[in-house]
Amino acid sequence: MNNATYLKLCGGIGLVWVLGLLFVPPFAELIESLMLLFLSTNAS
Amino acid sequence: MLKLILQIVGLLLLLLALTLVTLKLKNQNADGPSVLFPGGALVSGELYQGAEPDWSFTDDVFTIELQTTNPDSSRRIFVMESGGKVYVPSGYMRSFLGKLWKDWAFDVEAGSVQAVARINGVRYERTLKRVTDPAVIEGVATKLAQKYYGGVTPEAVAQISQSVADGDTWIFEMAPREED
Repeated sequence: MNNATYLKLCGGIGLVWVLGLLFVPPFAELIESLMLLFLSTNAS
Repeated sequence: MLKLILQIVGLLLLLLALTLVTLKLKNQNADGPSVLFPGGALVSGELYQGAEPDWSFTDDVFTIELQTTNPDSSRRIFVMESGGKVYVPSGYMRSFLGKLWKDWAFDVEAGSVQAVARINGVRYERTLKRVTDPAVIEGVATKLAQKYYGGVTPEAVAQISQSVADGDTWIFEMAPREED
């Protein structure tokens, strides 16, 4: 994948990701729960 | 192949950064915390006024929302009743994660002791006081083990008490609000 395509892909996925976090509460809660699971099992 | 792996790692790091920034900004002024990210001031819910409650009802409450001030921020936190008083813990206090995550506890220790607890939709104005007395801690540790560590065993209570004594876990009493 060339750099231009990669940057466009990152921008597109990033935009969808942020909109999902902002406007789809179950998605945001799922991501938070996964982060909490990671932190609670790796915190030291 | 290496380029593709680096691109995937870069995308994952981008998503992680976007998640942290987005959820932090989204929640910082919200009426209460999310699962992981702090919220703002607790504004909804009846403000309790009256005699000191019988805090034993918190035995059936898994987490409460606790707002501290200067700055106004709120988070979900465990709650333990012991000896007629009510307490909240803050763990990981000597870890790198704790220093990032538990800034509210350091703020309380530095003097921002005014707090609001929202429990079952009712807000209680309280003052946070750090507790280190081993006699008090034993009762709190017992309740902490009972509610959150799968049961009371001498080992669990001793481990929690040691964690408090070592400064890894801080225990705050949510005392009645002192009049100015």
